[in-house]
Amino acid sequence: MESVLSLGLALLLAPLFPGLILKVKALFAGKKGPPLLIKYWTLIKLLRKGSVYSTSTTFVFRLAPLVGCAAAIAVLLFFPFAGMAPVVSFHGDVIVLFYLLGLGRFFTIAAALDTGSPFEGMGAAREAFFGTLAEAAVFAVLILFFRLNGSLSLGGYFTGSQPISITGSQGALLILAVVALFMLLLAENSRVPVDDPATHLELTMIHEVMILDHSGPDLALIELGAFYKLFLYAALIADLLKPAGLAGPLANILFFYGMMAVVYLAIGVIESVTARLRMDMVPKYILTSFALVFFAIILTLEIA
Amino acid sequence: MELLLTALGLILAGGLAPLPLLRRPACARIVHLVLLTAGCLAGLAALIRTWGQGIAPVFSCTWLHTLPLSLALDSLSAVFLVPVFLLAPVIALYGYHYLDRKAPVWQAGAHLFCFSLLTAAMVLVTLADNLPAFAMAWELMSLSSYLLVLYDHEHEESRKAATLYLLFTQTGALLLFIAFGLLFQATGTFAFAQWSQAPHAIKLAAFFLALAGFGSKAGILPLHIWLPHAHPAAPSHVSALMSGVMIKMGVYGLLRFYFLIDDPAPILGRTVLGLGMVSGVLGVVYALGKNDIKRLLAYSSIENIGIVLIGCGLGMVGIASGNQTMTAFGFAGGLLHMFNHALFKSLLFMGAGAVIQQTGCRHLDQLGGLMRRMPVTARTFLTGSVAIAGLPPLNGFVSEFLIYFAAFQGVRLNGPDGLLAMAAIIALALIGGLASACFTRVAGLVFLGEPRRPLPATVTEAGLSMRAAMIVLVLACLSIGLWPEPFIRLALNGLSDLALPAASQPALLGSLPGNLALATRIFLAVLLLLALCRHFIYRAKPIAQATTWGCGFTRPTARIQYTGTSYAREMVEFHRPFVKIHTTCGPISQIFPRPVRYASKVDDWAEIGLRRLLVAPILLIADKLRWIQHGHIQLYIGYIVLTIAVLLLTV
Repeated sequence: MESVLSLGLALLLAPLFPGLILKVKALFAGKKGPPLLIKYWTLIKLLRKGSVYSTSTTFVFRLAPLVGCAAAIAVLLFFPFAGMAPVVSFHGDVIVLFYLLGLGRFFTIAAALDTGSPFEGMGAAREAFFGTLAEAAVFAVLILFFRLNGSLSLGGYFTGSQPISITGSQGALLILAVVALFMLLLAENSRVPVDDPATHLELTMIHEVMILDHSGPDLALIELGAFYKLFLYAALIADLLKPAGLAGPLANILFFYGMMAVVYLAIGVIESVTARLRMDMVPKYILTSFALVFFAIILTLEIA
Repeated sequence: MELLLTALGLILAGGLAPLPLLRRPACARIVHLVLLTAGCLAGLAALIRTWGQGIAPVFSCTWLHTLPLSLALDSLSAVFLVPVFLLAPVIALYGYHYLDRKAPVWQAGAHLFCFSLLTAAMVLVTLADNLPAFAMAWELMSLSSYLLVLYDHEHEESRKAATLYLLFTQTGALLLFIAFGLLFQATGTFAFAQWSQAPHAIKLAAFFLALAGFGSKAGILPLHIWLPHAHPAAPSHVSALMSGVMIKMGVYGLLRFYFLIDDPAPILGRTVLGLGMVSGVLGVVYALGKNDIKRLLAYSSIENIGIVLIGCGLGMVGIASGNQTMTAFGFAGGLLHMFNHALFKSLLFMGAGAVIQQTGCRHLDQLGGLMRRMPVTARTFLTGSVAIAGLPPLNGFVSEFLIYFAAFQGVRLNGPDGLLAMAAIIALALIGGLASACFTRVAGLVFLGEPRRPLPATVTEAGLSMRAAMIVLVLACLSIGLWPEPFIRLALNGLSDLALPAASQPALLGSLPGNLALATRIFLAVLLLLALCRHFIYRAKPIAQATTWGCGFTRPTARIQYTGTSYAREMVEFHRPFVKIHTTCGPISQIFPRPVRYASKVDDWAEIGLRRLLVAPILLIADKLRWIQHGHIQLYIGYIVLTIAVLLLTV
């Protein structure tokens, strides 16, 4: 019951946090910025509209938003929010979950190619390439976690007697993991410095250009899926930063959402103070995060 | 075991019976199809009857009073027989409409005969229990598949590809026979069962020779070169049979050999694992670089053989380090992936064949928008693409998951094994991402978007038997994805008659298969729920049609669509030391430039290396020795006499 409630809370709050990023960016630019609830209003607006479909598209174009959003929600079912047991969990579930996210990407790319637009094809190619590298880096993180507590499930990482936490005995290694995960968060969720969600030039976009032709409720589904994916990565970091001995569900929840706010604030600050990378620098950026994790893995190898 | 022999007889009869009926092609094909299907069903029935009952002798005799031949069925043979018996009839069904054209009578007859012969030969390879039987079955398989590749013998390209294939398969066989000879010399017997008593050094040498021999059949990098040439040349259903089923015989041979020499040296597993990673990653990178749809699928077979080898290699490392969970999951994952690949690769070759048959074009950058003209082919191909990319909820994911799981078990090991296991995880993740990119590219460029060239009005859906075959395979892929448990047990059972009773216990799997099914069902439930919500939201909503938004460009044409070359370019360039990209592009000069031509081609590193290091020296030497070949028969006979005399005196 507790797990279902915490999942419901997370599903409900996920669109709130991206509003925070916008607010931070506006403050940096010396503007007042949109209201905090802006993303909810966007979703409601989109759900009220109808859709325009290109005559080039087929059923794949309509299926893709559903698959992407369903994959993101299914992953959150396995996530232990604020150290509470997840709704479902089994040994090995992380592999399934990251492959589910891969399924979402497969269909997003297919839908982009379905429109026949050269811009969307370009975005699709970039997404496929950067996504591949990011996936390899994510699996390196999984190896690190497996070496730290022998578990292969999101639930196993952060619940139970030996949770992975930055205050634990091997916390120093986790600083590397946190930095790497944050870099991957930016790459996988199309944020600066990999992709700029606010740009206006289609040639320079990745994720935004792939969904140019989606409209109305379909676009709302894509947006929602993106909020959940970002929420997942931020929550991974928030759980890593949680001190081991935090007692009581209320303290846990408060700390968790506080940390979430910090992660999103950090995203906002980074987006305000850095420029995006040139496209050919992005692979190096992702490989840097991979190298960080790999270094952490090497440190876990006992000298035999 | 009479049933299994009956099955073999029926399959062979399926090749012979149509020969007198060739004047009525449809009739001949139906007889072929019915007999082949009956034979394969009988074979499956025999497998079900003897499942899990240990090693069963099938047949043995002494041929010509000198060569003992013996066939036996054990669990490993059974696991490799399942795809043969399941896929041969489905592929023959596809061939019924695929070869629907005016070919000379003898050509059709030879094709049907060789098809049956290849099927029977593969059954014999898996059953062979001693050296003479195995060698004869292996050669029968090579020759019959060579003749199948040669179907379009009027085209020079087909003849060249077939010769290249023959060259590779015979060189491979040569290496195999050296390996067998070494073991025969050390043990003095043809029977496989006693070869484990050979000395360690001999076993090691024999293993590496056999690895090269079987590897050239399976398409392990860098011995894969025949695959991307033979598959585009062969008819599509022959490609399906060869790529889906026949190249797995190389893996079978390797596993059989590994288990019969029974040597615990860790180097064996490490080598197989390393080769698997190289084949897997480079196979998919080359696949990304290719624009010919069948050549691309051939490279993707190399990638999948790589995944199978990663699984088997992890299993071998598990044996060497005494980790039973790793052994069980590694081999089960490898064997299941072998079966899965047989299903989805046949499916994809069938889809590609349907496209080529209808459009007469196999170049990705000239196709597009076929979803509307060929809805069934397009949907089945898309399903196959999701499956081969290893994504849930389809079958490719199940086997990759098992291999991941084995690799994570290995991460705990110390020393090089642990590092190799980590590398295997990263390689699998990379392969998964690149395969996704590769197959969104194929499916997206061929079936989605708009046609890049005007399609003739004659382009329609593939024939009935072709569609039926593809739908059967889609259902098979779906059922393994949704109900993985029995199939995982089936793959694990492949180990039960080998020297590892403990690693084949289903108890090792625990609740994992059930959990896997649960996760895919949860995802499907969420998807269904969302789809219902979407349906509800879209009721009474205005839906409009328009052209694709061109970002302000108002006169779009189909030719401005993204091409396969540009889609893959960054990914291929990223792996540049291992791929050679040739770009030819005319210079753009003057204020009003003239039309320029642009062409780019991705070359295979192994092929260049082989040509430079092996073919060129051999040609050079052959050129120097040309004077031996002068056309005087009496001197040729003299050479033979001289050779025999020298051999008699020295050996």
